[in-house]
Amino acid sequence: MKASRARLFKEYKEVQREKAADPDIQLVCDDSNIFKWTALIKGPSETPYEGGVFQLAFAVPEQYPLQPPQVRFLTKIFHPNVHFKTGEICLDILKNAWSPAWTLQSVCRAIIALMAHPEPDSPLNCDSGNLLRSGDIRGYQSMARMYTRLAAMPKKG
Amino acid sequence: MNQEEEVDEPGSCPSQQDSNPCPICLGPLVQESYLDTCFHKFCYNCILHWSRVVASKRSRPSASVKCPLCKTENFSIISGFDGTCFQRHYINQDLGDRFTFSKQHKYRLQCYYNEPGILNDIFNVLRFWKTRKYLQSNMWLQSWLRRELQALMQEEDVDIVVHHIHGVIDSFLRRIEQSRLLKKPTEATQDDFRIAVSDAAKPFLLARTDRFVNELELFLASGLNIEAYDAVYMQRLGWNAPGGSISSKPAEESSQHLGIVPYLYIFDVDSDKDE
Repeated sequence: MKASRARLFKEYKEVQREKAADPDIQLVCDDSNIFKWTALIKGPSETPYEGGVFQLAFAVPEQYPLQPPQVRFLTKIFHPNVHFKTGEICLDILKNAWSPAWTLQSVCRAIIALMAHPEPDSPLNCDSGNLLRSGDIRGYQSMARMYTRLAAMPKKG
Repeated sequence: MNQEEEVDEPGSCPSQQDSNPCPICLGPLVQESYLDTCFHKFCYNCILHWSRVVASKRSRPSASVKCPLCKTENFSIISGFDGTCFQRHYINQDLGDRFTFSKQHKYRLQCYYNEPGILNDIFNVLRFWKTRKYLQSNMWLQSWLRRELQALMQEEDVDIVVHHIHGVIDSFLRRIEQSRLLKKPTEATQDDFRIAVSDAAKPFLLARTDRFVNELELFLASGLNIEAYDAVYMQRLGWNAPGGSISSKPAEESSQHLGIVPYLYIFDVDSDKDE
């Protein structure tokens, strides 16, 4: 659709212009396909993801923004609402609660917020969800921190 | 990834022009419109499209739409405000005549997922051409075309396409009447027909064109009206008329609400390939 392309181009320009505005998010459009984007987001502070940099892959549908983009984690992450194998994200605004006023940038912000505030009652990663639901905050945090170290941080040395 | 390829010159001032863009297309407001409760601003077409997408996802028609920005329920779109008057578009206003994918459309679309040729022993297409049955004009063709194209294109307003294809068929059949003296073999005439209709339909039906031409010939060869044709078709497929209403209430075709209407843009996908 023409409209989706025009809108993505607007977002692209906005991202270029505001590159410094949000240091936690780095959104990059695929060189040859404006419907494919990747983002690097910083793990929020005071969470087990702090210090990690997580890569997201966006696949934007032709009907965008009337339909939400498909987003998944490329970087492995231990989080109740992220599928451990596929990186699929369970987030209402990416499904029923989508509104065309969201942008790729604001979706990234929503995902950062989700990282800081997991919803263990709608888990895609049951192990992680069960730890939180059974009150084992420490167990969840150490698992999440371990995977952040393993997958989302540059190797030392 | 090359992020530097599209750097805005600092001197250009898109931010001024876009200081208050439409939240949906992010472009300048076209036909500035307001939602009636929260008064958020959108392009008329943007908010109208969105309200339709929302409606198509609901299982039950609703008279309101949530504002994409603040989630307030709104009941109408106000546009063209010039200081004294404005137009108001109620959210449920077009529910009555909004295109709902009726059972008949579904049945027609399903036919395309069946192997072709299951009716070949009932309707003899070759005989249709040999015996020149096309000399009798088919008064149901236009309605048949409309339903078929609506089903295939998932689009309510197919008038122009119906008109176009009907015109091509009509003029072709009229021309072969005149050129019958040339003694072309029947098969060649049939091929010409298929090519002419394919050419006319291809831009709209894409990969489904060939099958569409098949179905069209079959319908013409049947010489039946739509109800009878449907009955034969469905009997052969081994289906009962869905809900038992197909043959008895064709008039309800467009008024049957079937809950969730698929919101598909099958054919938009290609519309901008050549940009």
